[in-house]
Amino acid sequence: MTASIATNQTILVVGGGIAGMTAALEAAECGKQVILAEKSPTLGGRTSMLYRYFPKMCFPSCGLEINLKRVRGNPNVRVMTMTEVAAVTGSRGDYTVTLKVKPRYVNENCTACGDCGKAVSAEVPNTFNYGLNKVKAAYLPHDMAYPQRFVIDASIVATPDGEAAKAACKYNAVDLGMQEETIEIKVGSVVWATGWRPYDANKIQPYGYDRYQNVITSLEFERLCDPRGPTGGKILRPSDGKEAKNIAFIQCAGSRDENHLRHCSRICCMGTLKQTMYVREIDTEAKSTIYYIDIRVIDRLEDFYQDVQKDPNVGFVKSKVARIALNEANGNPILHGVDTEGYKRYAAEHDLVVLAVGMEPEVVGVQLPEDIVLDSSNFIEGSKSGGMFGAGSASSPLDVNRAVQNATAASMRAVQVIHKTASTEAA
Amino acid sequence: MSEALSQANSQAIARYKNNFLKEVEERVEDGHWVKMCMQCGVCAGSCPFGPHWEHSPQKLFMMIRAGKREEVLSTDSYWLCTSCYNCIVRCPRKLPITHIMHGLAHYAHRLGTVPPAQPGRAIAVLFWKNVVQNGRLNELTFSLKMYFRDGFGQGVKNAMAMQGIGLGLVKTKRLNPMEILGGHTCKDKGGIQRMVAKAAEIENKRRGMA
Amino acid sequence: MADNKFAAYICSGCGLGEALNIAGLEKVAKTEGKMAVIKTHPFLCNAEGVKMIQDDIANDGVTHVCIAACSRRAKAEAFHFPTVAMSRANLREGVIWIVSEGADHDEVRQEMAEDYIRMSCAEIKKLVQPGGNKKEASSKKILVVGGGMSGMTAAQSAVDAGYEVVIVEKAGQLGGFANQLWKRTPFQSPYADAQPTGAPELAAALSSNPKVKVYLNSTVAETAGAPGRFAIKIAQESGSISEELCGAIVQASGFTTYPIEKLPELGGGQANVVDQAGLEALAKAANGGPIKRADGKEVKSVVFVQCAGQRDDSGTHLPYCSGHCCATSIKQATYFKDQNPDIDTVVMYQDLRVPGMGEDFYRSAQNKGVIFTKGKASKVTGGDSCKVEFKDLILDEDTAAEADLVVLATGQVPNAGTDIEAWTVAATAADGGDEAAKAQKAELQSISVLNLKYRQGPDMPQLKYGFADSHFICFPYETRRTGIYAVGPMRRPMDMHQAQEDATGAALKAIQAVENAALGRAAHPRAWDLSFPKARLEGCTQCKRCTVECPFGAIDEDERRFPVFNEERCRRCGTCMGACPVRVISFENYSCDSVGVQVKAVEVPDEEDEKPRILILACENDAYPALDMAGMQRLTYSAYVRVIPVRCLGSVNTIWITDALNSGYDGVMMMGCQKGENYQCHFVKGSEMAYYRLSKIGDTLKGMGLEPERMQTYEIAITDATRVARLIDEYVAQLNEIGPSPMKGFG
Repeated sequence: MTASIATNQTILVVGGGIAGMTAALEAAECGKQVILAEKSPTLGGRTSMLYRYFPKMCFPSCGLEINLKRVRGNPNVRVMTMTEVAAVTGSRGDYTVTLKVKPRYVNENCTACGDCGKAVSAEVPNTFNYGLNKVKAAYLPHDMAYPQRFVIDASIVATPDGEAAKAACKYNAVDLGMQEETIEIKVGSVVWATGWRPYDANKIQPYGYDRYQNVITSLEFERLCDPRGPTGGKILRPSDGKEAKNIAFIQCAGSRDENHLRHCSRICCMGTLKQTMYVREIDTEAKSTIYYIDIRVIDRLEDFYQDVQKDPNVGFVKSKVARIALNEANGNPILHGVDTEGYKRYAAEHDLVVLAVGMEPEVVGVQLPEDIVLDSSNFIEGSKSGGMFGAGSASSPLDVNRAVQNATAASMRAVQVIHKTASTEAA
Repeated sequence: MSEALSQANSQAIARYKNNFLKEVEERVEDGHWVKMCMQCGVCAGSCPFGPHWEHSPQKLFMMIRAGKREEVLSTDSYWLCTSCYNCIVRCPRKLPITHIMHGLAHYAHRLGTVPPAQPGRAIAVLFWKNVVQNGRLNELTFSLKMYFRDGFGQGVKNAMAMQGIGLGLVKTKRLNPMEILGGHTCKDKGGIQRMVAKAAEIENKRRGMA
Repeated sequence: MADNKFAAYICSGCGLGEALNIAGLEKVAKTEGKMAVIKTHPFLCNAEGVKMIQDDIANDGVTHVCIAACSRRAKAEAFHFPTVAMSRANLREGVIWIVSEGADHDEVRQEMAEDYIRMSCAEIKKLVQPGGNKKEASSKKILVVGGGMSGMTAAQSAVDAGYEVVIVEKAGQLGGFANQLWKRTPFQSPYADAQPTGAPELAAALSSNPKVKVYLNSTVAETAGAPGRFAIKIAQESGSISEELCGAIVQASGFTTYPIEKLPELGGGQANVVDQAGLEALAKAANGGPIKRADGKEVKSVVFVQCAGQRDDSGTHLPYCSGHCCATSIKQATYFKDQNPDIDTVVMYQDLRVPGMGEDFYRSAQNKGVIFTKGKASKVTGGDSCKVEFKDLILDEDTAAEADLVVLATGQVPNAGTDIEAWTVAATAADGGDEAAKAQKAELQSISVLNLKYRQGPDMPQLKYGFADSHFICFPYETRRTGIYAVGPMRRPMDMHQAQEDATGAALKAIQAVENAALGRAAHPRAWDLSFPKARLEGCTQCKRCTVECPFGAIDEDERRFPVFNEERCRRCGTCMGACPVRVISFENYSCDSVGVQVKAVEVPDEEDEKPRILILACENDAYPALDMAGMQRLTYSAYVRVIPVRCLGSVNTIWITDALNSGYDGVMMMGCQKGENYQCHFVKGSEMAYYRLSKIGDTLKGMGLEPERMQTYEIAITDATRVARLIDEYVAQLNEIGPSPMKGFG
C-alpha cells in the first residue's frame, strides 16, 4: 500500500463499518478527499456479521453491496485496511496523523482465486463467526470482503504453511516478508467511527457465561441462526448439538447497570425481538421467553413489537433474572428470579439461554487521542479542538438506521471544518 | 404495644400525612435510596430466603412509593433478612438494600407496628439490651433469654434442643458457663451507655423522632 | 461511427486458461464479435495487463473495451478506464466457478464462455460513454421548508459549509415547536438536567446571517423544476409572491400533537388535564416560579400518563410510539421538582423508554424524587382534584391516584403534506370528469407543504402513518424525490436531539444533490452515474406509462401530453425504459438495444442437441451479486443459463423477453429484489413492476403457443447463493419436463 497524499483538505475516517463507510462516502460524494482507515482486513464491520436487520428482516449484504459499489466507483475515497491510528497531533483543520499499517502478507496482485487457502492446512478461529468455528490460516474474511484480497494469518508466516501458500499463488501475491508500515499524513478533520464491542458476558458472574455451555450471547446466537454461520442456520446447543426448543432471552445483560455498563444499549430489545422471529422461522414449535425490565422499542418500530406479541410461542416476563443454575443431567440452564408483575417467583428451566449483552465503545486497536472528549460511558462526544467527531456506535449505542444518520451528520461536521480551513486560507 | 409506642406511630402519621415515601426517606436508614429502584426484581430473585418473604424488597419499594404504609410497616418480610448482601451486589442501581431492609425493621420496631409474634424483633431487642448493658454480648444470658422468651416450658425444650451445640461451645472454650454470673464487661461501661444514649438522641433529632 | 475501435481483452488467469479454450474464445471475438483488437493475457488485472489496455486506448485509438475475465464486481479499480465504454464478460464467477468440473462438462463450459464473448462484443457496440449533462446556471442554494429546530439546524449546517440558504416558515418567527418549550431534554453529558432549547440563539444567528434569507409568515405555493433548478414560489401572508431558484430542498415541516380532545376517557378536554405542550405553556408562564394550573392554583401534585393515545393496536388512536415522550415527561416532572422538591410527581408508564444515555437522565430524575409507576391508566377524570384510575402492574391491583394536574403524553402527528396515493386516486378520477373527485383532489392539495408541480403529486410519498420516511435501513435519507430530503418528526417520530442530527445529515445530502445536479450526475444509489434517459418523442404514443411508473416522479407531462424528462430528478434506474411499449427511451450506456443484442447474440442450439438455453435477467443490486456469491462459494448450477445484469427489474422491457422466446430460448428467469410491504428494491417497485408486466404477457405467450412457465420471476437476496443455484437447476429440470421451446429454429 503506497502512502496516500493527503492535505489539510482531506478527511480521515477511522473505522470501516457501516458508519465509517457512510461518513467517508457522503463526504466523498460532495467532492471531498477522504481516507478510510480500517484495522481489520476488510470493510463491513460488525453489521456484516449480523444475519438480518430489524424491522424489515432484510440482509446486511444489500446495503453493503451498494456502499461497496459507491466505494469502488469513487476516486475520492482511498481505503486503507489493516490500518490503525497510532497518534494524532495538531489542531482543528490541521492535524498530523500517524498510521500503522499491519502486514496482510498479500499484495494487490491477489485475484481471490483461493489457491493459497487450498494449499494451507493450519486453521485459525473465524472472527466472522465470533470464533464459533475455524477457517484456514490463508483466508478471505467473508464473501463480500473489500478489498477482495486474501489474508495470511501472522501465525503461519514463518512456517511451512506460509511457504505453501506462497508457492500456490500464481500471481506473486503472497509476500511473507511484508513489514508493518508507518505512514504520516496531514488531514483537516478526523471522524472516529471505531464502532462498538459486545460487553464481556464473562463479567456477569450470576449468569454463568463462563461456566455453562448453553448460556451464549446474542451475537453468538445471531451466528447460529444464520445459514452462513457455523451450524448452517440450525439452533444447536453448544453442549450437545441438540436443537434448542425452549429459549430464554435475558435483556439488559450488562446494561443499565451500575456494576457493568451504566447506559442502556438501545438495540438489544429490538435485537431480541428480531431473534424470536428467527426462531419462529427456523422451528415453528420452539418457544422463546423474553426476560425484560422495559421493552424499549421506540417510534415506528412499535409495529414490530406488536407483531411479536401476537406470536403465541413468545412469552414476556418482566423480570431481571437473578441467577442461572445448571441442571447437570441435561445441561439445561435454570433461570431463577421473580416476575415483578404481581410477584411470582420462578425457577425456569430452558435449554438455551441468550444474553442480550450491551454495547460499549470498541477499545481493541483503538487509541483515542487525548483531544477526544468522552462521556461517562466512554462514548465520543467530540474533541477539545473541535475538529474531530465520533460517528455511529462510537458516539452512542445506536441501531443501523441511526448510526448511518449519525455518521452522515458527523461527515457534515467534518466537511464544515474543511470548508472553514479553506475559506480562512483563501481569505 | 405500649402507649408510648403507639404515640410515635400517630405522631408519624400526623407529620407525614399520606407521604409515606417522604417518611421513609427521612426516617429509615438509607431510605432516600428507595426512589432509585427501577423495579427490575433482581433483589427479589437473589434473596436466599426470598420464598419466605411476603413482599420482596423490590415490591416493598413499590409499596412505599404507592403509600401502602400499614402493609409495609406491619409485614414480617424484612425481618427475614440475614444480611447476606446478595441483593446489594446484584442491584443495577446499587441500592443498599440490606441496610434499607434493616432500616425498615428498625423503624417498624420504633413505631410499634411490628406483628407481635415476630421473633426476629424479639431477638433483636434482647440482643441490643444485652450488648448495651455491658458493652459486650453475654452469649450465655442472651441465649437463655432467647430460649425462654416464650415461657418456661418452651424454654426448656429449646435449651434441650441446643444442648449439643452448647456443650460443644463449652468444650472448645467458646462459651464460659460462669458468664451466667455476669460475663465480660468493658472498662467504661457507663461511658458506653452514655455514648449510645447520645447517638440515639442525635439520630432521633435528625429524624424528627425526639 | 468510423472512429470507433473495438477491442477485446481475454484473461487466462484464475484458472480460465486451464478450464477454457482461450484460442476458441479469441476466434469468436474475431469472427463473430468483429473486434478490431483481440489480446489475451495470463494476469490481466495486474499492472502489466492494465497498462496494456491503457496503452491501446492512449496510443492505438481504442474507443470501446470488452474485458473477458472476472465479474464486473471484481477488480473494478484495476479495470477503470473512464474515457471509454466498457463491457465485461463474466467468465470466472459466471462460468468456470459454477460449471461442474471435469472433462464431461468441457463442451458446455466452452459454449457458455463463447456465448458470453458474443454477448459482450455485441453489447459494446451499443454503448456510448456518457458525457453527462453539465449545466451552466445550476443553483446551489438550499431551500429549507420549516424553521423549527430541524429546519434551523439544517440551515445552519449548510451555511457552515459555505452554502446559501432560504428558509420558509409559516409562523411569524423561527423556532417552531421549540418556542413552546420551557426547556429541552438534555443531549450531552452529564445528561442530568433539562437544558435551554437554544432555539432563540439559533434563530437570531440565522436571521442575521447574510447567506440566509428568511421568509416568515410564508408557505411554499409552488415548487417546479428539479435539483439544481427548483423554481420556488413563496406565498406570504400579505398576499405577495416571491420567487427563489434553489438547488435542493430540505423539508422540515415538523409535527402537531395528537388532539387531546380525542382522549375523553383519559380526561382530554376536562379541567386540569393537559398534554405535554400544555404543560410547557404552564411552565413557561411560571418562568421558574411555582407552576400554576389554569385556575391559578399552584400545582402540588401531578401525574404524567404515558402512551396516551399511542401504541394503540385497536386502530382508534396512533399505533406507533413517538419516541420522545418518556424523556419529555421526565423532563417536565423535573420542572416541578427543581422548583419545589416537595411536589408529588408520578410518571405512570408501560415501558419506560429512555434508551442510550437517557438512562442517566432517568436516574437523575429519580434522584430528584420523581416517582415511576408501571401502570396502565383506564380512566382519568379532570376537575378540581383529578383522579387517575389505573392498574398498578407491579402491585397487581386496580387503584387510583389523585393529583392537582394530569399531563397526558400524547403523540406526534407528522406534518408531511398531502398523501399522494390518495391524491393520485382522486386526480385520476378527476381527470375523468368526476366532480366529487375534483373537490377531493383540491382538498388533499390544500394541505400540501411543497406544492410540487410534479405529475405524480404535490408532495413526497409517505411511507407509513403519514411519515415521509425512507424504507431503507441503511439509507435513511433515500427519499423518493431526488434532491428533496425529509427531516425531523415529519420523517419519523423523534426527539429534538435526533431531529438536529437528522437535519445535519440532511444538509450534507442536500449539498451533494446540488453538486451532483450541476455536473449532471446521479445521486445515490447509482451515485455519479452520468447517463440519463433520452426519448425519441417522434415515436412516443403518449401512453403515459413512463410518467406514471417512474418511482421518483422524474417525468412530467407537457401540454401536448408528451413526457418531459427531468434528468436531475432521475435515479437512472430505467423503469421508464422498461415501461415503454414502443421502446423510445434509452440511456447512452443502457438501452433496449444494448441488452437486446446480447439476447440475440447467444447461439441457440437446435432442438436435437438437447441443450436448452435459459435467459436470466438479474438485477445488479441483489440477484447478480448472489450469482457471483454462488461462484465464489464454488456452488454449481446449470451451464445452460445466460445471465445479463440489468439495473433493476423495473427496467426490463418485454421486448427482451419476446426476443428471447422468439430466438428459441426455452425459458426466462427474472431475478430481482424483494418486493411487497418490506420491499428491498432500491427503485421501489422494480420487482413488483416485473411481476405485474409479466402477468400481462401471459396471454400473449399462450397465443404464441408457449407455456406460461417459460417465464418466471424470483426475489433474490445476495445471501441466497445456495438458493439461487438450486432455483436455476430446478427450473432447468422443470423446462426439461415441459420440453424444448417450439420456437427453436424460427429465430
